[in-house]
Amino acid sequence: MTGFTHQIKRDLAIAWASRMDIGVMLLFFVIIVTMFPLAIGPHPEILRPLAVPLLWIAAFLSILAGFDRLFAADLRDGWLDQVALSKLPLFAYVIAKAVAHWVVTGLPVLVMVPVIGVLLQIEVPQLPAICLALAIGTAALTLLGVIGASLAVGARHGGGLMALLVLPLAVPVLIFGVLASQPEAGMILSPHLKLLGAMMAVLLAIAPVVAAAALGEADDDGGA
Amino acid sequence: MFDYLANPTRFLRIADAVLIPSAILASGVLLAGLYFGLLGSPADYQQGDTVRIMYVHVPAAWLAVIGYVAMGVCGIFYIVWRHPLADIALRAIAPVGATFAMLTLVTGSLWGKPMWGAWWVWDARLTSMLILFFFYIAVIALANGFDRVERGSRPAALLALVGMLNVPIVKFSVDWWNTLHQPASLIRSGGVAIDPSMLTPLMLMLAGFHLYFIVIVIIRMKALLIERRITNLQLRQTSAGQTSAGHKSGGPKLGGPKLGGTS
Repeated sequence: MTGFTHQIKRDLAIAWASRMDIGVMLLFFVIIVTMFPLAIGPHPEILRPLAVPLLWIAAFLSILAGFDRLFAADLRDGWLDQVALSKLPLFAYVIAKAVAHWVVTGLPVLVMVPVIGVLLQIEVPQLPAICLALAIGTAALTLLGVIGASLAVGARHGGGLMALLVLPLAVPVLIFGVLASQPEAGMILSPHLKLLGAMMAVLLAIAPVVAAAALGEADDDGGA
Repeated sequence: MFDYLANPTRFLRIADAVLIPSAILASGVLLAGLYFGLLGSPADYQQGDTVRIMYVHVPAAWLAVIGYVAMGVCGIFYIVWRHPLADIALRAIAPVGATFAMLTLVTGSLWGKPMWGAWWVWDARLTSMLILFFFYIAVIALANGFDRVERGSRPAALLALVGMLNVPIVKFSVDWWNTLHQPASLIRSGGVAIDPSMLTPLMLMLAGFHLYFIVIVIIRMKALLIERRITNLQLRQTSAGQTSAGHKSGGPKLGGPKLGGTS
């Protein structure tokens, strides 16, 4: 367990050392959202029904943008070798990476939701449901991104390949996430939210194993 | 049985024995299916002759899904037993399945224009087939995304496996999404009993497509095996050339001293 927490602390420390990157990601998030009204037009009656889907797509894109370097850096500087030699199992390392990555990307996005809500004219009573669904959805997306990043590590077109792998896998998360963000009145725990949670639970079981298998291969290969 | 087939030479011998008969059978069945489909069956009383698109569309969709499952099974074999032929089979199936998925989308589009009045609608079935196509492309891109070809084998196998788990979820979610957003607009009248005159060509085409799939996958597997063998020979030749150049002897020779693997 200590190895696990150390891994999380290490990643958080690295993220904090380059905290500008988090700011850049958040700015990217806001700018994507800004682009939509500029393209669609400023009319509230058109924007309002599109607000939640736009929010989700923007959140997806900004979280995905940070994934291509998730394992590549560890592989390059030999950290992955050290982990493989240590007592920390590879799948625990993967979970630690996912937790740290979610804290660095998913959490800031959640914090930004009220601001985005103002920009897209989302009513305040809607915000808790959106934040709840987005919290689970970003966690699920992080796990999918972990799968994609571990598979694509060392590939020629890491970033583009990542998006190609992850976005089709993320279709169910997107669908149920958007539905869960717009629940029936007075029903926060909608069936969609439960399905979203179930998907995240399944991914939590699958992603570390798959990523560990892929990283084992990448490590054997010496990062080629 | 799988150990028995694991030897590529033995596999090639069996594949050669199977290939010609199944190719002949496939062309025969497909020709019969085409005859019944195009000439020997009546036009639909509502859809007219466009109903004949079905005889290509349905088998293609079927094989797009079967190809995906086959790819996932190959993935399991490759990950669990490191079966080299499973990797070859996966790489052989992926583009074929992708082509069938594409064919499904194209024929569906051609069928949809006269029937629904649109080339494309966001119907649940169309959407899940499109996502299946994306999955195929992702597997192909991943399998060939590395400088050393074999390096892509395990990631591709893992992705095929994850995809096999994910495809039913995608199907389910897309069904849910569609039925919520555009209820019963385009869902085809379910449970249409197909008349025997139309069932015959459909079944023939289904069988023919399956045989064609087997034939094409065997051909592709043979080609991939030979390609890999050529690459290995070239590598050996290059390393032999380098070593002999160091000894100031002649050019690279095949079957010279055993130098394979050193470089």
